Amino acid sequence: MDNYRLDKVHKFEEFVDQRLKPDLVRAVSERDKVFEQQKTFSDLRKNIENLQKNSVTSLRTLVNLGSEAYMQAEVPDMQRIFVDVGLGFHVEFTWSEALNYISLREEKLARQIEEYTHHIASIKAQIKMVYVTRKYAYAFASLLNRLNMLVHHF
Amino acid sequence: MEEGANGTVTPLASMFPADEAQKAAGRVQDAIAEKRRELDRVRGFAADNAALVNLVQKLPEELHHDVMVPFGKAAFFPGRLIHTNEFTVLLGEGYYAERTSKQTVEILRRRGKALETHVDSLKSIIEDLKTEASFFDKTASEAAEGLVEIREELSGEESDEGSSELGQKEDGPSISVEDKGKILNEDEEYDRLMSKLDELEKEELAAEAADNIEEETNEVDPDVVSDQSSFHQNLKDLEGSHSCMPPSHSERQASNEEFLRQTRQQPALVEKLNPGDFTIASSQKDKTSHGNDLLWNLKGPDIADKSPKLPALEENDHAGSSNNEVPIQPPKPKVDSLRAFTGSIIEHSPNLPINPREPSATSSKVPGSQSSKPLSRFRMQRK
Repeated sequence: MDNYRLDKVHKFEEFVDQRLKPDLVRAVSERDKVFEQQKTFSDLRKNIENLQKNSVTSLRTLVNLGSEAYMQAEVPDMQRIFVDVGLGFHVEFTWSEALNYISLREEKLARQIEEYTHHIASIKAQIKMVYVTRKYAYAFASLLNRLNMLVHHF
Repeated sequence: MEEGANGTVTPLASMFPADEAQKAAGRVQDAIAEKRRELDRVRGFAADNAALVNLVQKLPEELHHDVMVPFGKAAFFPGRLIHTNEFTVLLGEGYYAERTSKQTVEILRRRGKALETHVDSLKSIIEDLKTEASFFDKTASEAAEGLVEIREELSGEESDEGSSELGQKEDGPSISVEDKGKILNEDEEYDRLMSKLDELEKEELAAEAADNIEEETNEVDPDVVSDQSSFHQNLKDLEGSHSCMPPSHSERQASNEEFLRQTRQQPALVEKLNPGDFTIASSQKDKTSHGNDLLWNLKGPDIADKSPKLPALEENDHAGSSNNEVPIQPPKPKVDSLRAFTGSIIEHSPNLPINPREPSATSSKVPGSQSSKPLSRFRMQRK
């Protein structure tokens, strides 16, 4: 009977690991994506602040045409900037409006990251719990085994 | 099918366990899937490349293009493309080149070709993996069916069941195993020999220009077979003319000659050739052994460390005996080799009587001969 219990414990632990570990991996990757978005927006904010500080009105850049083939491009008037607001939309902003929007966006992203961190922490806790339980169950089961053997002796 | 007394019956399942074969098949399938994904990726690149070629060709049609210029990953500026005929193209490793539209198209075409070769190689890899997978599947099914492999000792007939690569049906008992083996060995060795010849030919051509030591070969002891001098002449001319060789063995002699020419510079390779060389020689008459002697003599001047062998061969010559003596190689010479002679010589058929003589001869020669020409060792040995 103790063997049976051992087996059960084993199976439970395996099952949990097959579910929990992939869950953990997925949650971490989602959080990383949000991290990247956050970085993008913070970079954008820094750039706009820089442009504002230097009062830049026009710009010359190299535009990637795909496969690392660049062409010169000129932006004569930089008063209007189109910012991605999700779902494939870009909204026309002035600089200050853009900065405003970006800070709002960053807050939202930070909240999302917080949620993901909580989720990841709970999964990790569950995994730890399984390991500890298993250790105790093994110890307990082996103890019961020994007791059984002793009993059968007499 | 004959049932022999000494036979082994092995179920295929024991050689290729069914479940393991299936696992292997599964692994191969994974590999195939991975390669397919990579193939799709590379095909995507090729498609992008083609689209870019089109774009690059169309852009110079206008002076300016109004576009949205990206600013980071999440913002755009309205702007225009200028200098529409100038492109900055990545050449790799952080190097860029400013090119016109036409030149850029050429660069992109070359990139496309490279991608295509990549696609082809991936396709061939996938094909190989597929055959591997099919083999595993077949083996797994066969093993599961309980197919059995029967091996019998040859009593004139050899038969098999199951895997196709094991054994073949032989016609009657006329060919015994040993004969077959012998013939096979000789053919194999001859083939190996010829392939080595080809390798050496190439190497010799490369090393030809540097060597001018042939003059020494003219000082060969006249006692040695007269063929030698003319043979040396031929070699000096670096020609493969066979006129001086006995016509009866022209074919094999020619190969020996080539050996001589080609292996002059390759002492390290010589020992590889020797077994084969001597194998062939062993099947011929004494004259061929002379040819081998010539071989050795020629190499003598060029290869100081080989010279110890010459006296051995001279002894063979004197013995005028069976060609089995020819393959006797002197034991490792203690001479400091000018070349990378490792001293490992493959001996084909050891001939004991000659062996004991050689070491003493070799060692007596070696100290005195390091500075003198190897050919003089001949004379020493002769006297």
